[in-house]
Amino acid sequence: MNPLDWWLLLAVLLFCIGAFGVLARRNTILVIMSLELMLNAVNIALVAVAQFRAGSAGAGVLFSLFVITVAAAEVTVGLGIVIANYRAKRTVQADRFDEMKG
Amino acid sequence: MPGGDFHPFFFVVIAAWILICGLGVVLFRKIVYSAVSMVFCFLGVAMAYALLNAELVAIIQILVYVGAISVVILFAIMLTEVQGDQFTLFFNRQTVFAAPVAVATCVILAVMLVSSEMTGVGEASLNLSVRELSELLFNRYVFPFELVSLVLLGAMIGAIVLARGEGEKR
Amino acid sequence: MEGTDAMKLAVALIVLLPLAGFIVTLVFGKRMGTRAHVLPVALVTATAVLAVYAFEWVFRHQEEPFVWDAFTWLVAGRYEVTWGFQVDTLTGVMLLVVGIIGMLVHYYSIGYMHGDGGYYRFFAYLNLFMFAMFVLILANNFLLLFLGWEGVGLCSYLLIAFWFPKKTASQAGKKAFLVNRVGDFGFTLGMLLIFVTTGTLQFAGVFDKAEMIGAGTLLWICLLLFTGAIGKSAQFPLHVWLPDAMEGPTPVSALIHAATMVNAGVYMVARSYPLFMHSNTAMLVVMVVGTFTAIYAAYIAITQNDIKKVIAYSTVSSLGFMFMALGAGAWAAGIFYLFAHGFFKGLLFLCSGSVIHAMGGEQDMRKMGGLRTRIPVTFWTMMVGAVALIGVFPFAGFWAKDEILFADFTHHYYVVWVVGVVTAFLTAVFAFRMMFMTFFGESRADAEVQAHVHESPKVMTIPLVLLAIPAAALGVVVGWPPEEGWIHTFLEPVFFDVEHEEFAWLGTGGALMAFSLVVALVGVYVAYVMYLKRRELPAQLAARVPWAYQASLRKMYMDEVYEVAPIRSTIAFSNWLWTGFDVLVIDGIVNGLARLWDWVGAALRQLQTGRVQNYAFGIFAGMLALVIVVGCIWGV
Repeated sequence: MNPLDWWLLLAVLLFCIGAFGVLARRNTILVIMSLELMLNAVNIALVAVAQFRAGSAGAGVLFSLFVITVAAAEVTVGLGIVIANYRAKRTVQADRFDEMKG
Repeated sequence: MPGGDFHPFFFVVIAAWILICGLGVVLFRKIVYSAVSMVFCFLGVAMAYALLNAELVAIIQILVYVGAISVVILFAIMLTEVQGDQFTLFFNRQTVFAAPVAVATCVILAVMLVSSEMTGVGEASLNLSVRELSELLFNRYVFPFELVSLVLLGAMIGAIVLARGEGEKR
Repeated sequence: MEGTDAMKLAVALIVLLPLAGFIVTLVFGKRMGTRAHVLPVALVTATAVLAVYAFEWVFRHQEEPFVWDAFTWLVAGRYEVTWGFQVDTLTGVMLLVVGIIGMLVHYYSIGYMHGDGGYYRFFAYLNLFMFAMFVLILANNFLLLFLGWEGVGLCSYLLIAFWFPKKTASQAGKKAFLVNRVGDFGFTLGMLLIFVTTGTLQFAGVFDKAEMIGAGTLLWICLLLFTGAIGKSAQFPLHVWLPDAMEGPTPVSALIHAATMVNAGVYMVARSYPLFMHSNTAMLVVMVVGTFTAIYAAYIAITQNDIKKVIAYSTVSSLGFMFMALGAGAWAAGIFYLFAHGFFKGLLFLCSGSVIHAMGGEQDMRKMGGLRTRIPVTFWTMMVGAVALIGVFPFAGFWAKDEILFADFTHHYYVVWVVGVVTAFLTAVFAFRMMFMTFFGESRADAEVQAHVHESPKVMTIPLVLLAIPAAALGVVVGWPPEEGWIHTFLEPVFFDVEHEEFAWLGTGGALMAFSLVVALVGVYVAYVMYLKRRELPAQLAARVPWAYQASLRKMYMDEVYEVAPIRSTIAFSNWLWTGFDVLVIDGIVNGLARLWDWVGAALRQLQTGRVQNYAFGIFAGMLALVIVVGCIWGV
């Protein structure tokens, strides 16, 4: 295993931890936090590949910057939704929101 | 060596830091603990960027995640925890399925990673400086850059609309 | 070749003129009102003349039949069916019967149907019938014959149910149609079997290969064809439609149900002579069915009170006689009987129509009597018909009937011969029972009916006289001397290979003839005693053996048998199909499917929980499964 593999393994582990949080936690805010973990994992992978592979010409690094930006926007909107939902139902538990069904 | 010299010692310490804090995020019963754990996790990721010789990303990671996003999340926690929502269960009912799926994903990705042959690894990277990166950003990638600014604008408006709620209109 | 082109024209016109008459009369007949008969009658007269011409042509060219494939009808692969016509001596005889009797019945109908609401319709149907009948007898292949066969069946249905507002009439029409379908089904199967076996339906082609067909297959072909004949020629057990067919106008009974259509079965079997000739079993079946039908129908005829029913059962009996002759190998005698029967039975029907006309629609013989002097022409012509029917020397039936009985005897079918003689005796009894009850004794009708009794108009009586002539003289003309008469030599090209028994006046032949003549006269005497001299006798006899009387009167309970066996069971089966099969199985499947999908939908609806994390899990697990599957396929 070369160094890049180690970095990517780290990204995989963090990604799966985040995924587990997204799927298994009840609190919506914690779901958003887990989502951030997953995005961070992806960013680690991006930067690692950019730094270890030739020819990417800074694209990997710049791409991770865009991801961070979009993540910031996503957190803002996501938390806005959580607050709105909390106002409506006085709760942030994800499984309490089940009106969207037939 | 491209991407900075690979120091196994630093890598192991930082990786362990990140993973432990990440597990803390998803496993802590109290959400405030999770949030604090998340902040430390973000710091660990920033250190990983530094170890990868990506100083710009490391700095922005600290600015945006540790500085901005964490604060916003803490605010949200405080707003929603005021009434003291009684969490009898902090995991939902599909946890028993979600955990194996997450582990399986992890195993499969790891196996794919190990078994695949990465070509070109170890060749000289450009290892761009901040100046060179910003030149790229404002020339070659200027269109995505402007697009992202639009996304941020949209998110800002959306967050305001959502957070105001209908109650404010009266 | 001289005459062939003229013959083609004649045959084409024989077929086309009645068809044209049918179409024109059906379309414009209503406007013609009481003159609607002019065109059909004129066309049929022309057709009769052409039929006589064609007969005369055959007469001159006996050895070489006229064959003409007019045009191609159907093409299926390498096989094609033509509108092909064939005129040989057998066809010639049929042409005479159909042409002449058809024409006379048309004239008779002018008087009989006068003033009827469906006047034009009647003549249109009659013309259609003539068309179909000519197609039937002129066809040179089984399929075209079948077209005519079904065509006459249709006309029979239309004309039996001619007075359809009367419920019994429309039901009789339906009965005739349905019973005939049973026979036609057999005929169709027979045709299919012929086609499968020989690869053709042309008479010539089929008969050339007759010897090569295996015995079992040939037997089946013959039996299936004979099934069709049983239906069409009203043989037991499919005879039930013919007595009911008397609901139709009397000219129809005379033309279709005595002289022509019902003979189609006999004609078809005779036409298929090369096939039947090679199958002794089939011949035996034909003979047994014919013999049984002959005595069975004669026995029923004795107690019937409706004058037309008597003649109808007599017809069934006579047709049985014909099949008896064919089955016994007396082919020419069978056709001879058909020939003679067409005239005298047509005559009897027309006379009964005249009687009914005179009695103002009354058909029950118990309310007749003493008509001898009131309607003399009808009486004398009907007497000729009756005498010809029972076979008194020298009338037509005598020669034909005795040839058949002679053939039975000399071919050692003694049981058949005995049954034939008994049938002849019964025939004499019921024929003269009818004559005595109708024309002799004192009148039993109401005074009002009596006052109106009148002889029929000339347009009806002249055909009677014209028919009486062949009914009286035909036997001598074509049947003399017995077994060597003109009809035998004439039919020789068709029925080649038939053994001839020597007829000796001072031997078996003469003895048998004298014997059957005595039997017939005894029958007449018995009828005289029972129905004229000592009229209490029949009632006493009926009281003595009530079962025999009831069995005859109730037509051997055949209608009851049909009611129980096919009809009830069909209704029960249909009911079961409805309540048992349709409601439970079919509806069960449909409703079950609906319920299944309802259930599946309800089950699947559980998947839509509305909880966003469940969906996320679905996406994640699905993607994982996809990766695993793709990985397995590519063997990564």
